[in-house]
Amino acid sequence: MTNRYEVVYIFDSALEEAQVNEHLERFHALLQTPESPQPIRQVNHWGKRTLAYPIKRRDVGYYVVVQFETLARQLAEFERLIKLDESVLRHLVVVDEGATPAAVRAPSEEDTADEGLAEEAEE
Amino acid sequence: MRRHRKTCPICEMGVRVVDYKDERTLVRFTTERGKILPSRLSGACARHQRQLSVAIKRARQLALLPFIRGYAR
Repeated sequence: MTNRYEVVYIFDSALEEAQVNEHLERFHALLQTPESPQPIRQVNHWGKRTLAYPIKRRDVGYYVVVQFETLARQLAEFERLIKLDESVLRHLVVVDEGATPAAVRAPSEEDTADEGLAEEAEE
Repeated sequence: MRRHRKTCPICEMGVRVVDYKDERTLVRFTTERGKILPSRLSGACARHQRQLSVAIKRARQLALLPFIRGYAR
Protein backbone atom coordinates (compact mmCIF):
# COMPACT_ATOMS: atom_id res chain seq x y z
CA MET A 1 0.00 0.00 0.00
CA THR A 2 1.44 3.29 -1.04
CA ASN A 3 0.69 6.53 0.75
CA ARG A 4 0.76 10.11 -0.35
CA TYR A 5 3.33 12.39 1.23
CA GLU A 6 4.65 15.86 0.81
CA VAL A 7 8.19 17.05 1.43
CA VAL A 8 9.52 20.60 1.65
CA TYR A 9 13.26 21.09 1.20
CA ILE A 10 15.19 24.23 2.07
CA PHE A 11 18.41 24.19 0.07
CA ASP A 12 21.43 26.42 0.47
CA SER A 13 20.72 29.47 -1.71
CA ALA A 14 24.27 29.34 -3.09
CA LEU A 15 23.21 26.35 -5.24
CA GLU A 16 22.16 26.82 -8.87
CA GLU A 17 18.85 25.38 -10.00
CA ALA A 18 20.62 22.66 -11.98
CA GLN A 19 22.51 21.57 -8.87
CA VAL A 20 19.29 21.51 -6.86
CA ASN A 21 17.70 19.27 -9.49
CA GLU A 22 20.67 16.92 -9.26
CA HIS A 23 20.18 16.58 -5.53
CA LEU A 24 16.44 16.05 -5.94
CA GLU A 25 17.01 13.27 -8.46
CA ARG A 26 19.32 11.51 -6.05
CA PHE A 27 16.78 11.68 -3.22
CA HIS A 28 13.84 10.72 -5.38
CA ALA A 29 15.55 7.65 -6.82
CA LEU A 30 15.03 6.05 -3.41
CA LEU A 31 11.27 6.46 -3.53
CA GLN A 32 10.79 4.19 -6.51
CA THR A 33 9.37 0.74 -5.70
CA PRO A 34 7.51 -1.90 -7.74
CA GLU A 35 4.29 -0.63 -6.11
CA SER A 36 5.02 2.99 -7.07
CA PRO A 37 6.87 3.07 -10.41
CA GLN A 38 6.16 6.81 -10.75
CA PRO A 39 6.53 8.13 -7.19
CA ILE A 40 6.72 11.86 -7.96
CA ARG A 41 3.35 13.53 -8.41
CA GLN A 42 4.32 17.18 -8.45
CA VAL A 43 7.47 19.28 -8.03
CA ASN A 44 7.13 22.94 -7.23
CA HIS A 45 10.15 25.24 -7.07
CA TRP A 46 9.38 28.25 -4.91
CA GLY A 47 12.87 29.57 -5.50
CA LYS A 48 14.78 31.83 -3.14
CA ARG A 49 12.96 33.13 -0.10
CA THR A 50 14.02 35.04 2.96
CA LEU A 51 13.96 32.82 6.05
CA ALA A 52 11.91 34.00 9.03
CA TYR A 53 14.99 33.37 11.19
CA PRO A 54 18.55 32.40 10.27
CA ILE A 55 19.30 28.68 9.81
CA LYS A 56 22.99 27.72 9.90
CA ARG A 57 23.77 31.44 9.66
CA ARG A 58 21.96 31.75 6.31
CA ASP A 59 19.21 34.30 5.80
CA VAL A 60 17.99 33.04 2.42
CA GLY A 61 16.94 29.54 1.38
CA TYR A 62 15.91 27.85 -1.86
CA TYR A 63 12.52 26.17 -1.30
CA VAL A 64 11.24 23.13 -3.18
CA VAL A 65 7.89 21.44 -2.47
CA VAL A 66 7.34 17.89 -3.76
CA GLN A 67 4.25 15.70 -3.60
CA PHE A 68 5.00 12.01 -3.91
CA GLU A 69 3.57 8.54 -3.38
CA THR A 70 5.52 5.63 -1.92
CA LEU A 71 5.65 2.88 0.66
CA ALA A 72 6.02 3.95 4.27
CA ARG A 73 9.13 1.82 4.76
CA GLN A 74 11.02 3.79 2.09
CA LEU A 75 10.80 6.97 4.15
CA ALA A 76 13.44 6.14 6.76
CA GLU A 77 16.20 5.68 4.18
CA PHE A 78 14.91 8.69 2.22
CA GLU A 79 15.12 10.98 5.24
CA ARG A 80 18.48 9.59 6.24
CA LEU A 81 19.92 10.55 2.87
CA ILE A 82 18.48 14.07 3.12
CA LYS A 83 19.94 14.54 6.59
CA LEU A 84 23.38 13.49 5.37
CA ASP A 85 23.32 16.11 2.63
CA GLU A 86 24.98 19.33 3.76
CA SER A 87 23.33 21.45 1.08
CA VAL A 88 19.87 20.88 2.57
CA LEU A 89 19.44 23.39 5.39
CA ARG A 90 16.19 21.83 6.53
CA HIS A 91 13.41 19.53 5.34
CA LEU A 92 9.94 18.44 6.43
CA VAL A 93 8.08 15.30 5.37
CA VAL A 94 4.34 15.14 6.12
CA VAL A 95 1.37 13.03 5.06
CA ASP A 96 -0.40 14.79 2.18
CA GLU A 97 -3.86 15.60 3.52
CA GLY A 98 -5.02 17.44 0.43
CA ALA A 99 -4.92 20.89 1.99
CA THR A 100 -6.38 23.78 0.04
CA PRO A 101 -3.22 25.29 -1.47
CA ALA A 102 -2.50 28.95 -0.83
CA ALA A 103 -1.98 29.94 -4.46
CA VAL A 104 -5.21 28.35 -5.69
CA ARG A 105 -7.29 29.80 -2.92
CA ALA A 106 -7.57 33.47 -3.81
CA PRO A 107 -9.09 33.22 -7.32
CA SER A 108 -11.37 30.22 -6.71
CA GLU A 109 -12.70 31.40 -3.37
CA GLU A 110 -16.30 31.47 -4.54
CA ASP A 111 -16.27 27.96 -6.05
CA THR A 112 -15.13 26.28 -2.87
CA ALA A 113 -17.08 28.50 -0.48
CA ASP A 114 -20.37 26.56 -0.70
CA GLU A 115 -18.90 23.13 0.04
CA GLY A 116 -16.99 24.27 3.08
CA LEU A 117 -19.83 26.26 4.54
CA ALA A 118 -22.54 23.66 4.07
CA GLU A 119 -21.49 21.80 7.20
CA GLU A 120 -21.29 24.76 9.55
CA ALA A 121 -24.22 26.63 8.02
CA GLU A 122 -26.70 26.28 10.90
CA GLU A 123 -26.89 29.32 13.14
CA MET B 1 -26.27 39.62 28.04
CA ARG B 2 -24.41 36.98 26.04
CA ARG B 3 -22.19 38.02 23.23
CA HIS B 4 -22.87 36.47 19.86
CA ARG B 5 -20.42 33.68 19.02
CA LYS B 6 -18.01 34.70 16.23
CA THR B 7 -18.11 32.50 13.13
CA CYS B 8 -14.94 30.65 12.20
CA PRO B 9 -12.89 32.66 9.68
CA ILE B 10 -11.41 29.48 8.16
CA CYS B 11 -14.88 28.05 7.53
CA GLU B 12 -15.85 31.34 5.96
CA MET B 13 -12.92 31.06 3.56
CA GLY B 14 -14.27 27.70 2.46
CA VAL B 15 -11.12 25.84 3.46
CA ARG B 16 -11.44 22.24 4.68
CA VAL B 17 -7.82 21.50 5.54
CA VAL B 18 -5.50 24.31 6.58
CA ASP B 19 -2.26 24.44 4.58
CA TYR B 20 0.94 24.90 6.61
CA LYS B 21 2.64 26.47 3.56
CA ASP B 22 0.16 29.36 3.44
CA GLU B 23 1.97 31.69 5.81
CA ARG B 24 0.00 34.73 4.67
CA THR B 25 -3.16 33.25 6.19
CA LEU B 26 -1.37 31.78 9.20
CA VAL B 27 0.17 35.09 10.35
CA ARG B 28 -3.35 36.37 10.94
CA PHE B 29 -3.69 33.76 13.67
CA THR B 30 -0.56 34.78 15.55
CA THR B 31 0.04 37.63 17.99
CA GLU B 32 2.44 40.45 17.21
CA ARG B 33 5.12 38.43 19.03
CA GLY B 34 4.38 35.33 16.96
CA LYS B 35 2.39 33.32 19.52
CA ILE B 36 -0.61 31.29 18.37
CA LEU B 37 -3.81 33.24 18.93
CA PRO B 38 -6.31 31.43 21.23
CA SER B 39 -9.60 30.42 19.62
CA ARG B 40 -11.30 32.77 22.07
CA LEU B 41 -9.72 35.62 20.09
CA SER B 42 -9.39 34.07 16.65
CA GLY B 43 -12.97 32.81 16.63
CA ALA B 44 -11.90 29.59 14.90
CA CYS B 45 -14.00 26.47 15.40
CA ALA B 46 -12.40 23.60 17.35
CA ARG B 47 -11.48 21.58 14.28
CA HIS B 48 -9.84 24.49 12.50
CA GLN B 49 -8.11 25.73 15.64
CA ARG B 50 -6.45 22.31 15.97
CA GLN B 51 -5.41 22.41 12.32
CA LEU B 52 -4.13 25.96 12.71
CA SER B 53 -1.93 25.16 15.68
CA VAL B 54 -0.29 22.23 13.86
CA ALA B 55 0.07 24.28 10.66
CA ILE B 56 1.70 27.20 12.48
CA LYS B 57 4.16 24.85 14.20
CA ARG B 58 5.10 23.28 10.87
CA ALA B 59 5.48 26.70 9.25
CA ARG B 60 7.85 27.68 12.07
CA GLN B 61 10.06 24.67 11.42
CA LEU B 62 10.29 25.69 7.78
CA ALA B 63 11.18 29.30 8.69
CA LEU B 64 8.01 30.55 7.00
CA LEU B 65 6.93 32.01 10.34
CA PRO B 66 9.19 33.16 13.16
CA PHE B 67 9.12 31.45 16.56
CA ILE B 68 9.40 34.91 18.15
CA ARG B 69 8.66 38.01 16.11
CA GLY B 70 10.71 41.15 16.67
CA TYR B 71 13.57 39.32 18.38
CA ALA B 72 17.05 40.40 17.31
CA ARG B 73 20.26 39.09 18.77
